[in-house]
Amino acid sequence: MEAILGPRGYLHSSEDLALYQYDGGIDAALPDLVTFPQSTEEVVALVKLAAEFGMPIVGRGAGTGLSGGGVARAGGVIVSFARMNRILEIDLDNECAVVQPGVVNLDISLAVEADGYFYAPDPSSQKACTIGGNVSENAGGPHTLAYGVTTNHVLGMECVLPDGTVFETGGRSFDTAEGYDLTGLLVGSEGTMVLVTKVIVRLMRKPELVKTMLAIYDRPEDAGATVAEITARAITPVAVEMMDGVLLRMVEEAYHAGYPMDAAAVLLIELEGIREAVEEQVEQIREACMHSRAREVRVARNQAERELLWKGRKNAFGAVGRFAPSSLVQDGVVPRTKIAPALDFILDVARRYDLTISNIFHAGDGNLHPLILFDPRKPGETEKVKRAGDEILQYCIQVGGSITGEHGVGMEKNEMMAHLYSSDSLDAIAGFKKLFDPRCHLNPGKVLPTGHGCLEIRQLPSDLRY
Amino acid sequence: MIRPETPQQLAEALRMLAGEHRSIRMGGNFTKDRLGGPTTAAAETLTTAGLRRLLQYEPQDLTVSVEAGMPFAELQRTLAEKGQMLPLDPFTGPGWESATVGGVLGANLSGPRRRLYGTARDMVIGMTFATLEGKLVQTGGMVVKNVAGLDMGKLMIGSFGTLAAITSVNFKVFPVPLFSRTFVMEFPTVSKAFSERDRILKGQLPPAAIDVVNDSRGCRLLVRATGNQQVVDRFSADLAQARSSEGEEESAVWHEVREFTPRFLAANPEGGVAMIRTPLASMGAEMERLKVPCIARAGSGVIYAHYAADPPPTQVHDESGMMKKIKLMFDPENLMNRGRLHGYV
Repeated sequence: MEAILGPRGYLHSSEDLALYQYDGGIDAALPDLVTFPQSTEEVVALVKLAAEFGMPIVGRGAGTGLSGGGVARAGGVIVSFARMNRILEIDLDNECAVVQPGVVNLDISLAVEADGYFYAPDPSSQKACTIGGNVSENAGGPHTLAYGVTTNHVLGMECVLPDGTVFETGGRSFDTAEGYDLTGLLVGSEGTMVLVTKVIVRLMRKPELVKTMLAIYDRPEDAGATVAEITARAITPVAVEMMDGVLLRMVEEAYHAGYPMDAAAVLLIELEGIREAVEEQVEQIREACMHSRAREVRVARNQAERELLWKGRKNAFGAVGRFAPSSLVQDGVVPRTKIAPALDFILDVARRYDLTISNIFHAGDGNLHPLILFDPRKPGETEKVKRAGDEILQYCIQVGGSITGEHGVGMEKNEMMAHLYSSDSLDAIAGFKKLFDPRCHLNPGKVLPTGHGCLEIRQLPSDLRY
Repeated sequence: MIRPETPQQLAEALRMLAGEHRSIRMGGNFTKDRLGGPTTAAAETLTTAGLRRLLQYEPQDLTVSVEAGMPFAELQRTLAEKGQMLPLDPFTGPGWESATVGGVLGANLSGPRRRLYGTARDMVIGMTFATLEGKLVQTGGMVVKNVAGLDMGKLMIGSFGTLAAITSVNFKVFPVPLFSRTFVMEFPTVSKAFSERDRILKGQLPPAAIDVVNDSRGCRLLVRATGNQQVVDRFSADLAQARSSEGEEESAVWHEVREFTPRFLAANPEGGVAMIRTPLASMGAEMERLKVPCIARAGSGVIYAHYAADPPPTQVHDESGMMKKIKLMFDPENLMNRGRLHGYV
């Protein structure tokens, strides 16, 4: 290992490894080794060495994932892309950028902001999370409503197969190349089929005007009804975020974003486009909100007010940390007209399990993030929380939704996949996994439920000479 | 011709044919035989045209689910009744009206509005396909945001039926914009048209469509503005020199664009169309080099070049061999639509 990466290219002491056993979710597992390659060639050498010793290989970005995607479930080598963090090229004429996987999501937008461009997918962790992780999990964000998730913004990639073969997909054209859309297949494959070592992302023109609104409600169902009303009026905001009263109060105490402490729910709505069009839409949205019994509708007057409103939203998970030792955030999706009944169901789950659940939804596209607060030190509490979470996901499936809208399946929800898809569908996914990773080295124990994934055998690295 | 009426029947038919090692020509109404490489004779022909039900339409959720054999035009009519649309704008014209949803996806057809709305890969939220093993595989679902499991639907888009038979597709749909206006500008040279394109793409106004057409009638830049009245008005001010149209006159402009390729192929029995993908910045030079009638999706890096005879062969780049491996996983004996996908698989 030292021959490949040098003396400072890996970590193996138990206290160092302990830092890499988690991501942003609640699952944990210790890796045997954490490596920091600086080039595609080093990644190739690494996967070949790991294969030789039959060790699992787990790609990892910033560790902000929420489904255990970057956790070495079966031990093995973590390949951290922290040192492959350069923007290789900004190509504005072709509306794209070529980046290494360790580049932080927001840094792309910051690099092209002055020229009037941005990178659209904006996970809440965008100040820390990396493009490699975004590609693996097919990350989304509040603006997914208008722009789609990561897969809609990746034009091409450089990938490494577990046998060390390097290949490229796509390119700088906006069209998928002739043949099968390998980029589309591999984005969201959660590190189970390839390691991604380079990404070509699409850049978009920054809108002329952005307006952010806050609609305040005394009843959460009225906030849900507003979402349907906006669709019915054919208004197309770029983000519609919902927070319930429980969450609002936690966020407000932490960040003083100016949210009302006594509201039952708020909607954070953003509009973008050319000036006159946005100004008209602000009025249309205001009418839709008032029609759905909003108590009050505020419009941010300037950039500072906008940023404050978003600060509360994007740091909501952090705010929760002040109130409970731990929390589980779910990522279920329901058809957007089912937001209000879904909220009712979640409240019912909270009552039955005697848990505090606060809610933050990407309401515009039906993506729910119930946050279940708990104390993992209490015996049986973690198990109870997982059961409550699973019950919410079962509900999402039942009403025609999905178990994950943007966080990925990982090791958190892989057993739930058996409830979402037929055995034939899971076998098809397993077939692809086997085709790309026949010996099951890449991120074992993720995505597929027991019985469909490949069997992973943990081999202790006692033979490895560090 | 085998014409199953249900997905189960279709899956069963595929399983039986594969069991008998019989080659299969598979499609909807076979309107696109002159795209995507040659068709070769097969032992059996199988059509998905019998699968044409509307499975679910939720206007309030902006989602729709249809069987693959439904004519694309019929789907559009259904959506239009609710003021909604699927802005794919595939080729149309005499002989092409019966194109099915499955066929449009299999050939990955898209049209001028891809600049704003993307292509099929951006609109499909779920899919079911039947394999030669007789299985019905589901991918995605009926919600607009979903990352559970591999997105296998993306592989079927543009696969020309070489892997499996799409049986149903779920789409996210869009509200028809309230206002629309199209601007046409003529240019003496292709490079001048692309200079104007550069100006527009680097400006503040996002066009829904921006095409360059270069044929015997000269070189034209077509720009479509959609949205509310103010959007259209801003474009009118910015493109004051252009000839503009709305309503039926505007529809005719785009209908002509969508009919261009089918009409060309009908008039040139030996001809073919090559779809050339190139980064935005090299489009102008590439189009000048081509001495044949061309339509460019000038904001998306695609040029359709029309050859009256001997179109250049299309290369499929698969240096890793993964595409071939995928083909063999689905169809180890190469029974499905042999020759399609430019003869690659």
